[in-house]
Amino acid sequence: MALIKKSLVFAVTLLTVPFLAFSQAEPTGLKIIENVYHRPTSEDMQGDLTMTLTNAHGETRVRRIHQFTRDFGQVEKKIMFFQYPADVRDTAFMTWGYDESGKDDDQWIYLPALKKVKRISSDSKSDYFMGSDFTYDDLGDRHPADDVHKLLREETLDGSPCYVVESIPVQKDYMYSSTVTWVIKDKWIAVKKEFYDEDREHLKTLAVKQYENISGFWIVLHSQMHNIQKNHTTDMALTNVKLNNGITESQFTERMMQRGGR
Amino acid sequence: MNKLCALIIAPLLFVLVWDTPAVAQSTTMTGYVRNYTGILLEGDQEYAILQDTFDLRIEHTRGKVAFKANPYIYFYHNREKEIDLRQSYMDIRLETVDIRIGKQQIVWGKADGVFITDVISPKDLSEYLLPDFEEIRIGVQALKVDYYIGNNSLEFVWVPDFTPTRIPAEDSIWYVRPPFPGTATFDYSKKEVPSKFSNSELFLKYSAMTSLIDVELMAGSMWDDNPTLHVTQSISPSTGLPVLTVTPEHHRLELAGGSFSAALGGMVFRGEGAYYRGKYFNSEDPALNDRVVKKDYAHFLLGLDFTLLDIKMSLQVIEKQIQDYDESIINEEREDTVTFLMSRDFLRETLKLELFSYIGMNDNGSLIRPKMTYDLMDGFQIVAGFNIFTGNKGTYGQFDDKDMIYSKIKYAF
Repeated sequence: MALIKKSLVFAVTLLTVPFLAFSQAEPTGLKIIENVYHRPTSEDMQGDLTMTLTNAHGETRVRRIHQFTRDFGQVEKKIMFFQYPADVRDTAFMTWGYDESGKDDDQWIYLPALKKVKRISSDSKSDYFMGSDFTYDDLGDRHPADDVHKLLREETLDGSPCYVVESIPVQKDYMYSSTVTWVIKDKWIAVKKEFYDEDREHLKTLAVKQYENISGFWIVLHSQMHNIQKNHTTDMALTNVKLNNGITESQFTERMMQRGGR
Repeated sequence: MNKLCALIIAPLLFVLVWDTPAVAQSTTMTGYVRNYTGILLEGDQEYAILQDTFDLRIEHTRGKVAFKANPYIYFYHNREKEIDLRQSYMDIRLETVDIRIGKQQIVWGKADGVFITDVISPKDLSEYLLPDFEEIRIGVQALKVDYYIGNNSLEFVWVPDFTPTRIPAEDSIWYVRPPFPGTATFDYSKKEVPSKFSNSELFLKYSAMTSLIDVELMAGSMWDDNPTLHVTQSISPSTGLPVLTVTPEHHRLELAGGSFSAALGGMVFRGEGAYYRGKYFNSEDPALNDRVVKKDYAHFLLGLDFTLLDIKMSLQVIEKQIQDYDESIINEEREDTVTFLMSRDFLRETLKLELFSYIGMNDNGSLIRPKMTYDLMDGFQIVAGFNIFTGNKGTYGQFDDKDMIYSKIKYAF
């Protein structure tokens, strides 16, 4: 009887071990998105952002921004100085975003023509940033708990093995009915994302064109958002990136907004 | 032409010869050219304005010091061109202190298009309130010192020499004749404020920026930018008839005030108020000396900014209230104004439709300003709009026959 029992335990173990090993190799959709969300980031970052907007006729518009960000624990502060085109030069935009659930971001804008810093209400997350194909929500870190995630499959994209995860928003009236994200397995970088509109039609695709490991952190340097329905594209390129450069809290003040980042 | 050279060439030469490669330095040159054409809608469709502008901003930074010069030229079809410096100053930037010396525009307060605590830079009203605010504010020669502690700051401003409001020339369509008989004579002997240290203007402001609220508290000792019209009556020795003599004179004003701005539930609430001490008002009481009376007054505003159906809206309610009012004062005890702004962007923020209105509640007059701004390409902008005056008297109604259509074509570089 003891032998039968031992044999049964051995048989169960033999059957279970591969199953457990498979479970560890193939995490859930939620776990994959959590890994992307919690991928290590630097405490502060500065760089030059260039957005190139291309319409269906191939005509382009360029927006250049110098930006600083720093995570202060419960609050992340960001300040952007517009450098091009000339008519918006020296406009500054500052955001203090909070971890606290339900607390709106604080936002200010400095308009050089008015020579005044104005507090403005938080932009709607579904508004498009500076006429680009990115909404404010696309540019932020969407919390994994805001969607229900499902691992669809694994596939290789541009030579990198990826998880393909479908995310459906918990909030029913969200601007997208679903998104599908390609995540590189060992780096936890979302290299491609498809967005589906409220009618479940394919709206736009985000493709990461270039990423790099800078000072031990994976940084996306070039991404492209293509609105398929309007045949409009926005390229977003980050250059002159500096990480953990010791940006102090005094960088995120009215004084700096008025000074234009100089 | 000499003035043109002095204003534009000199700063450039200064930048070129300032060669100190040991310290990080940068020079930028930006600006714009613009055509501004306005046509009156009534009568013979006279040009309200036909102006070409060249505006240059030169900025040089070298370590902790910087300088900025902003020369501009207005060319007109029917009057003398205007060449001047909008601003020209030096900055010294220390760790917790910024010092600015020179001709500068200084803007205080949270109100939009209304001047309550925003009193340091006088206004150029030669084109009424219609130009952009950057062109309405006159730069003043001043020393400005800011001391910073985190997001708190203390600002001190010393204006050594007084600059008054610039009023429209007598041949301008915006000129308003003072309400005196044609026989009245004007004595301008007291109009100038002598340039001396004891006639300085001083201002102090504390400001704080927090997550909850932005606050400014200010105080100032200044000259009233608008002259008081002192009226005396005498008998003409030649005709034996009574003669009115009007003597414009500026007086000191003291004021204290503050402003706030706070966001709540997707809306921004704003407020601003100031108490002015020692303002002279004209009176109808012939027994009063010079027909003026000295009173205090309060000027305050409440505003709300919000977005509805993708339309950005802003509403401001403003009141000016004379204290210890005397029935003989020509101005009304309370003067109420409402401003309303709505704007919406289209075509990926390249097209903007906007409507801004001043509504005078006392006289039922208003200035309604719809406009359309289109960015044809990066830095190249076309603006078209109307300035519509309604009513028949008061601040806005007096210009009821000055409705105009205008365009601005601007290239920024």
